[in-house]
Amino acid sequence: MSALSFTTELGRRRLKARRPGVGATRPGFAWAVPATVFFLLFAILPLVLVAVLSFTSWDGITSPHFNGLANWTKLIDDPVMSQSIWLTLVLTLLGVVTQTPVSILLGVWAAGRQRNRAVLSAIFFVPLLLSATAVSVLWRALLDPNFGLPGQLPWLFGDGNLLGSQAGSIAVLTFVGMWQFTPLHALLYQGGARAIPQVLYQAAAIDGAGTVRQFFHITLPQLRNTMITSVILMVVGGLTTFDTVLILTQGGPGTDTTVSAYYMYEQGFKNFDFGAGSAIALVLVVVATLISLAVVRISGYDKMRSTAEGI
Amino acid sequence: MVSLDVTVRSGSSRRRAAMVAATATLVLGLTTACGSSGGTAASADSGTIHVLVYGDAGNTVEKQLVDTFNKTSKVKAVLDTIPGADYQSKLNTIINTPQAPDIFFNWGGGSIAPYVKDNLLLPLDGMIAKDPGLKNNFLPSVFNTAVIDGHAYGVPMRGTQPVLLFNNKQVLASAGLSAPQTWDDLVNDVKVLKAKGLTPIALGGGDQWPTQMWFEYVYDRVAGPGLFEKALAGDKSAWSSPDSVKALGMLKQLIDAGGFGNNFDSVKFTDGGSPALLAKGKAAFELMGSWEYSTQQSGNPDFAKNDLGYSAFPSVSGGKGDPNDVVGNTNNFYSVLKKTQHPDAVAAFLKLMYSDEFVKAQLGIGNLPTTTNTANFLATSASPAYSQFQFNLVKAAPSFQLSWDQAYPPAATTTIHTAVQEFFDGKTDANGFIQQMQSLTNS
Repeated sequence: MSALSFTTELGRRRLKARRPGVGATRPGFAWAVPATVFFLLFAILPLVLVAVLSFTSWDGITSPHFNGLANWTKLIDDPVMSQSIWLTLVLTLLGVVTQTPVSILLGVWAAGRQRNRAVLSAIFFVPLLLSATAVSVLWRALLDPNFGLPGQLPWLFGDGNLLGSQAGSIAVLTFVGMWQFTPLHALLYQGGARAIPQVLYQAAAIDGAGTVRQFFHITLPQLRNTMITSVILMVVGGLTTFDTVLILTQGGPGTDTTVSAYYMYEQGFKNFDFGAGSAIALVLVVVATLISLAVVRISGYDKMRSTAEGI
Repeated sequence: MVSLDVTVRSGSSRRRAAMVAATATLVLGLTTACGSSGGTAASADSGTIHVLVYGDAGNTVEKQLVDTFNKTSKVKAVLDTIPGADYQSKLNTIINTPQAPDIFFNWGGGSIAPYVKDNLLLPLDGMIAKDPGLKNNFLPSVFNTAVIDGHAYGVPMRGTQPVLLFNNKQVLASAGLSAPQTWDDLVNDVKVLKAKGLTPIALGGGDQWPTQMWFEYVYDRVAGPGLFEKALAGDKSAWSSPDSVKALGMLKQLIDAGGFGNNFDSVKFTDGGSPALLAKGKAAFELMGSWEYSTQQSGNPDFAKNDLGYSAFPSVSGGKGDPNDVVGNTNNFYSVLKKTQHPDAVAAFLKLMYSDEFVKAQLGIGNLPTTTNTANFLATSASPAYSQFQFNLVKAAPSFQLSWDQAYPPAATTTIHTAVQEFFDGKTDANGFIQQMQSLTNS
């Protein structure tokens, strides 16, 4: 509260000081108009329309007509829908758990000055340049049970029926997601690690801390904000996973990997039931918003605390 | 907008005013852009009819026929294509807008049923009354696919794609087997092949629709085409009938005998997985649409030429279905929108679909047309023996059942695909499958 009043006080003083100057005042509302209009037109308006559509029955051909809560009551009783939310959360969690450690290690390593670092980093970052579709098609071919890796390594893959069971499909989706997105997060951590003041390491070295202790007591705590950013990106990406599912599993076997975003697509664009699709979309929006808020709250990101205090 | 005015007045900076003006223009531009997108009406152009077709290699023939039509007609035809596999969803988006075409490509059956229900399509009965050739020149089992509630809504316009049991001749020969004539032959072949360490039947279960083909044929052989017709008409008891249970039992027997191996759900036809199994001799059979032939021709030309065998689906002793029945994609169709301005020109255009030129051009690109005059030109086909086999099969078929996922409206596709896949991988039993199929609605 005190910080807030201080800023307004500061603002007022600044405003007063600059009033004589012509046209040099703080940016007015007009500056925000282009962004605001785009946001209203392409984010808020569609969201409102989706909310309205979720109370209608619409095949996309004739005009939609209201059917009250029919879509919603159907959705509540729909085992595929509740399973899809559960699956989405599992995939998101698995994504965070698998991608974070690997990308922290890679990122911190890439921030150093070792020989060949630049060349190896460039190779690690290649998956980042490929589209999700290309990545999925590539792995689909590599994991073909007869002509791909599983056919050559039966001791590791058994009969190679990776996409024939729920556990196998989830493992494949998690692995491909990790392969695809780790470079992006490693890049974030590389930047974060580079920004850590060297004096901290020098002081620790004088105190006799080795590389491992330096990593756990300096690097990791200093990367806290980077970690939060990265996790939020992973959570948002995980909740909207779609392309890898579409190409690798098509929600199968059966409905075993039908995540919410894919289910929404299926209802809307395959079954032409845009009312039901909109209801799923709205659930997804609400769930994603709640989770993002929770992450921000729990991590204390909203406090914008610095990791460089006292340096 | 009010607050904008205030800022301009109090700010009195010329730069800011210019900025606001620019923003306002941008906003106006956006709104007008959104507003005007529906303005240009395709069918309002006087003297043209728009023909919308699925964009692929087959478009050369459609282009040729449009050119032929335009040589003599005052009303000019314009060919529009939608590339890619999303044809159905894009068609769905434009069909009730001013951009809608006059004539459009479809798969008959369930793919046009929603449009018929919404009263968008023109029944072709009037045109047929004027020119009976628009019906008589086509094989009846194919033409019937686009007949809904007793009215014809489409004219066949490409090639037929029956589902056949393909085999690898070399694998069969080395196992001392031949193409199975009966279901018992097939079950026996599976045993022999499995003992040799092969996957008896290649199945692209990841795609789901190849799995469905097995249901279509076994249901037809056991119960005849009537069971599915009843179910499609809304009689859900058909799925729980003794014949249905028997068919599921036979499928279960084949799956449990290891007929499809155990990793079929990780294999797809669409990415070349299951055709490769057949071509490389790792599997002996594959049940697939007639396009398997061209797939193998482009992927494994030597195999297609020397060792790719094909036969009709085996008969089932004691079954009610005629062993001559076929299932698959009967053909693609041209349907006409009710609001077309030039019905006479449309009728004239549709007549080209049984012309000699059409038949020759389709045969030239490997399609098998379903007109009665096709027989005269089969020798000119790219692979005459294969074309002849298919044509005789389709011509002799008392029933040509459209694929289940296309006979039902698009809304049923996911449920059917899930049901067949879960039955094959053992996640549901016969009762589960029956319940899933009974949950379908036919409208």
